[in-house]
Amino acid sequence: MGSMLGDWPSFDPHNFSQLRPSDPSSPSRMTPATYHPTHSRTLPPPDQVITTEAKNILLRHIYQRTEEKDLRPKRAATENLIPEHGCKQQRASPY
Amino acid sequence: MFRRNNIASRIFQRQIYTPAPGTSVYCARRFYENLVPSCTIYDVECPDQSFRKFTDDGQYLISFSRNQQDLVVYRPTWLSFSCKEEDCDAHDLPPKAKRFESFFTHLYSVSLASCNGNELICKDFFLYVESNQYGIIATSTPSIHDAAANGAAIQGVPYVEKLTFHLIRLEDGVILDVKVFHNDFVNLTHNMGVFLYDDLLAIASLRNQTIHILQIRDSGNLVDVRAIGAFCREDDELFLNSNAQCIAFPDKSKLHQLPGNNVQNGTHLSQPNQEDSLLSGIKQRLLSFIFQGISNEEKDPALRAQWLKKKFYFRFQDYVDLIIWKVQFLDRQHLLIKFGSVDGGVSRNADQHTAFLAVYNMETTEIVAFYQNSAEELYLLFERFCDHFHTASKNSVSMNFVSSHSNNIHALEQIRSVKSKASSQFMKKMLGSLPYSCQSLSPSPYFDQSLFRFDEKLISASDRPRQSTDHPIKFILRRQPCSLKFKIKLGPEAGNADGRTKKIASFLFHPFLPLALSIQQTLFLQQPSVVNIHFRG
Repeated sequence: MGSMLGDWPSFDPHNFSQLRPSDPSSPSRMTPATYHPTHSRTLPPPDQVITTEAKNILLRHIYQRTEEKDLRPKRAATENLIPEHGCKQQRASPY
Repeated sequence: MFRRNNIASRIFQRQIYTPAPGTSVYCARRFYENLVPSCTIYDVECPDQSFRKFTDDGQYLISFSRNQQDLVVYRPTWLSFSCKEEDCDAHDLPPKAKRFESFFTHLYSVSLASCNGNELICKDFFLYVESNQYGIIATSTPSIHDAAANGAAIQGVPYVEKLTFHLIRLEDGVILDVKVFHNDFVNLTHNMGVFLYDDLLAIASLRNQTIHILQIRDSGNLVDVRAIGAFCREDDELFLNSNAQCIAFPDKSKLHQLPGNNVQNGTHLSQPNQEDSLLSGIKQRLLSFIFQGISNEEKDPALRAQWLKKKFYFRFQDYVDLIIWKVQFLDRQHLLIKFGSVDGGVSRNADQHTAFLAVYNMETTEIVAFYQNSAEELYLLFERFCDHFHTASKNSVSMNFVSSHSNNIHALEQIRSVKSKASSQFMKKMLGSLPYSCQSLSPSPYFDQSLFRFDEKLISASDRPRQSTDHPIKFILRRQPCSLKFKIKLGPEAGNADGRTKKIASFLFHPFLPLALSIQQTLFLQQPSVVNIHFRG
């Protein structure tokens, strides 16, 4: 890459291949060092859509607290329901 | 960071440096350290009116005539006079410049309260819709206390025969629309019972226990959106009315499901709500939320009934007797509602009564959260996110930069130091300010805690009148060299010798000009108020 763009790598060896060095005496274009990612963990999911959260941060905290309180004994509540039809069986609580 | 104090060098620096991202308003505000209202004109001759406030965009000064029947609007301008001599600084202002009219141009007066009726303008109430320059002013007939309850009304709350909200275009004083309430009561002192957010208006009717949501359209119409109280959704009343006819002819197979008295009363049922029948509307939502919350606290189903009996059924009547005191918007769908007992609804010492705060989602008609007014959890949210309780509309730029303990380190240190001394009482006192009254804080940069330090007991951004003091109120620079920048003095040095007459002072600061009015009133005496103008000379 010479002096123009430093020694920085690229993920595609064909990038920067169209560059012509300004100084004709310097060595001709070199392909940049090519780095490939070894995993795809950091790739975003293909159907990801990024939007702004409509609720402000205060409401988000309030909803979060309420959900935390609700989550704990939610399964246990089903035992109190009287089955309307005999064929329904009471679900055993996983807790 | 090194910052120069000299205004000329600050201007040169502004030409070169760009402020850090997101801080341009704060950087521009620092110029107010140099431009301060240091000159005062004492006891200005001005029309005998009660000056209410400057609008948040600084375009108008709103005042009401002494007889509380007219709205008078002024445009704040500035002095203009010239001095031909060489050494102008030494000269004092000429007497002809020291007039009220030099600073304010009278635009128009509009008569709002009718002379034949006994209506008067509520001079503590004014709301400003900045996007369209509309103002909302209320007129009402005198309030009647010790009124007996009738129908859905609550006993113990006073009522007025007629309460009118006027929507006025402040440019020319044209009344665009009115909304009238009959035999109702809305607490209008310091904008308490009404909250404006963007174009939505929430009016808390204490007597009929309903929250009216109205929308202010750009065309100038006030449109009813919904009424939350006995009903939650817009079509609840229609649904219940149409089903009331079905209850009148009950289906025999379903007889056992209806309580006995309901069936008997069903044939006489003309309206779905009766005094002893099922709770409906927001009360039902609230009680079922409380019930579920308490029920979820006890994990063992065998002990749950006992737990509910102790925590819920024992206090059931207290919960049913809760009434709506105050309302504010948290965003376009969520309301923060304060519930309390009937005694505390209209009393002045509301702090002593137990109160509860609930977050209600208008779209899903669900209560999202319920706290007692001394709950530490709520206090922590309040301490961290105070700015989100002060819901300012997107249109109002100035109101988004009012100092609070969530956006200013000095204000935060102040409340933390008070909190460390008396924790639980302090939390209850701070939470007592929720829900907030809207448009009660001045956006003036002189109240920015990072620029100036001042005694909050004597003066603050809140527009409530305070005990007047003979000593000048000092505004001291926050950063080095912490010098005194300007003083607000309410009377000339000689002062009044009689310390017995109780005086209250109120301050109106212009949102961005170095201009302020201080109004001193003597209580219990019919003396006209003394108005001083503070400006940058």
